[in-house]
Amino acid sequence: MIYEKEKRYIIAFDDVPSPRAEMPEISVDDRRGNFVEVETGFPEALAVQEAKRCLSCRRCLGCALCWAECKPEAIDFDIPDEELDLEFDEVIITKGQDNAFHPLKPELGYGSYADIITDLQFERMLSPTGPTDGIVVSPKDSEIPRRVAIIQGHPEGDENHLLSSLILGVNESILALEKTGELNVVLVSPISQSFKEQFFSDVEKISGLQIVEGVPESVVKKQDGESLTLTYSEDGQSKQEAFDLIVVLTKPKISPEIKLLSQKLDQGIL
Amino acid sequence: MEDKRVLIVGGGLEGVRSAVEKAEAGAQVTIVEKFPALGAERIPRDRLIKPDDAFVNPELDKVRNHSNIDILTYSDLKKVTKENGTVKTKILKHSLRVDNTKCNDCKACIKVCPVNMLDDFDEGLGFRTAVDYCNPNTDEYNIYKEDMPVCQRTCPVNLDIRSYVGLIADGKYLDSLAIIRDRLPLPGSIGRVCPHPCETACNRQYPDEPISICFLKRFVADVEIDEKIEPVYETPSKKLSGKIAIIGAGPAGLSCAYDLARLGYDNITIFEALPVPGGYLWVGIPEYRLPKKIIQREVDLIVNMGVEIKYNTRIGQDISFEGLRNDHDAVFIGAGCHQGLKLRVPGEDEYEGKGIVDCVTFLREQALGKQMEVKGKLIVIGGGNAAIDSARVGWRMGFDEVYILYRRTKKEMPANSWEIEAAEHEGVILQYLAAPIEILGKNGMVTGMKCIRMELGEPDASGRRRPVPIEGSEYVIDAETIVPAISQGADLSFLSEGHDFNLSRWNTFEIDEETGATNVPGVFAGGDVVTGPDIAIRAVAAGNRAALGIHEYLRS
Repeated sequence: MIYEKEKRYIIAFDDVPSPRAEMPEISVDDRRGNFVEVETGFPEALAVQEAKRCLSCRRCLGCALCWAECKPEAIDFDIPDEELDLEFDEVIITKGQDNAFHPLKPELGYGSYADIITDLQFERMLSPTGPTDGIVVSPKDSEIPRRVAIIQGHPEGDENHLLSSLILGVNESILALEKTGELNVVLVSPISQSFKEQFFSDVEKISGLQIVEGVPESVVKKQDGESLTLTYSEDGQSKQEAFDLIVVLTKPKISPEIKLLSQKLDQGIL
Repeated sequence: MEDKRVLIVGGGLEGVRSAVEKAEAGAQVTIVEKFPALGAERIPRDRLIKPDDAFVNPELDKVRNHSNIDILTYSDLKKVTKENGTVKTKILKHSLRVDNTKCNDCKACIKVCPVNMLDDFDEGLGFRTAVDYCNPNTDEYNIYKEDMPVCQRTCPVNLDIRSYVGLIADGKYLDSLAIIRDRLPLPGSIGRVCPHPCETACNRQYPDEPISICFLKRFVADVEIDEKIEPVYETPSKKLSGKIAIIGAGPAGLSCAYDLARLGYDNITIFEALPVPGGYLWVGIPEYRLPKKIIQREVDLIVNMGVEIKYNTRIGQDISFEGLRNDHDAVFIGAGCHQGLKLRVPGEDEYEGKGIVDCVTFLREQALGKQMEVKGKLIVIGGGNAAIDSARVGWRMGFDEVYILYRRTKKEMPANSWEIEAAEHEGVILQYLAAPIEILGKNGMVTGMKCIRMELGEPDASGRRRPVPIEGSEYVIDAETIVPAISQGADLSFLSEGHDFNLSRWNTFEIDEETGATNVPGVFAGGDVVTGPDIAIRAVAAGNRAALGIHEYLRS
């Protein structure tokens, strides 16, 4: 396939999320007493629509346009992989750059609305080398938000998780407030004891940031195009507030390969 | 003394920090990171920042410039073994496909690359091309060309899914089908019944749901039928010598024959014990899931390539295995697992054929159109796909009530979830946490079954919780027909007595994983007869593998 030049479709990513195509079936009443095929197959339009959902992962097509264009002839599809046999006296296992996180409960709306993002996505957004050069915008409409909520995705999490995610949330708030005028950030999470002791007095001085000791319950959008409504409980009371952008604090998940390695070498993960 | 050699797995915040610590203490450090660049420019999680000290990591410069630190990015740790305190590793460093000593940073490649994909480094917030400009400090580019996307890597026959799905999006259905047929001669059959491991791996599941890959394969196979196109499978004009026998016209045997014919062999005979082709696809998978005409058409295309199928020819009965072997240069055994295993409870043997019939026989008789008594209540015992198939077939045949009895719970059932749902939907009644202990009968016919209730205990070797009988919970249920569907085994009675084959403790062939060769020269095996009952696409993969193994054997 490599040096073949062929025009191929380029996917539009504006359909995320969208459910997969459902296979049409004959009704249960039509099945009794016969062996007629139950699934009737995708109609053409449905098949094409489904095929277009393919993200074409890591998709160098081998079209070789880059190869043809590269004046210094630096591109070479035939550079082989290298296999190295190395020996060590000690191994240190870290979770690496795999940014996998534990699933978030669907009520928090992540995956349903484009203006709900994770703390990891917010981190990239705030980075000077990130997709928006460090400017905070809503991925939904590229507007600069006025009210941002940072909410705890795992309120049941242990002390360590709460502490590190709260620090990250506050740090992200500091950067967002620095870069965006007239911004309000509200951080909603259970507060860990050590966070209260070590950081609370400093955090209270940050202007534009409000910390709410509460548990986020759900995020909904009453109408398309409307802002997000966050429901959370504070002191046993249910409260609602509207936001332009919501950031969910995630809990990192160790990848299966790393877990396996840690089991195999019988040592922990740093 | 030599410096201590330290391997650091992962080039994120923690990895970079440890690398500096260890190197400054005098160790020789190697960092292995699977991404193309180190990534320690992060927002700290352990201290509050000033706005200008996030994303700056002085340790990163130390790592890059330290003479004691080797950085292996875009690298995978393939193998790790520990021996006497030394850790031996095999590390695969992926090719960047860009020679960075020549690259002049003009970015022309990025401008022309037609690929537009979610930028994984930016957590999917932006897009990038397949040329990845990954690191401002080292100016390293790489072209993201994996050997295979995750779907293709997961597929047992490594179907080029990305291409064939892409071609469907382009409306080029027949081109798409041609790509499938490059590795799989049974797209219509597999496109209906495959439990699609590829979809389980699909990256689209993270933003929403995986691509419906399997049904798209079926779609293009159906297009050809709807359009009444009769494809011709080309075989090379240069023919190769070698007389090859294949035992069994199931997915393994058919794909083996298909690949051998495409290599140029023109003396291939498949010996099939049944009067029909397809093996378990025909006699195990019910018509309502996979119509026989679909299998027949795909088999006809293979026969048109010059492959002969001898039906009603049982090896060990009509022809001896030794005779077959002496008469051919190579033999492939793809005999499958067509023997239903017994419950091993009292009464089972006594009533065999008198109301008790194993699932393989039950499904086969129905598929071959044999008359069976349909009366009263049918109970299927087991939790796999064969159990669900038997129950759904029984329901269609017209049994008044159809039950499935399973000793664990729905969660542990090995059957595909969508099959379980369909059975429930059709009115099959599933009873969990119960197992038969005796088959009951009267006047030489089955009348029912004595069962015992179970509860789940500790996990067993399969990781599922072991069912444990609850003492004193026995009960009796009435049934006119009982179908055990607990598992299937290989029937190796076709082998001559005193054969030399190495067999596993499961009574399956032991083979060379690379070539499919058994320990007997010139004899290859694959599919269920090697793996035990497994999915069709893995049998196809075994057929492909053995075809290459046979080719190598015959040409050396």
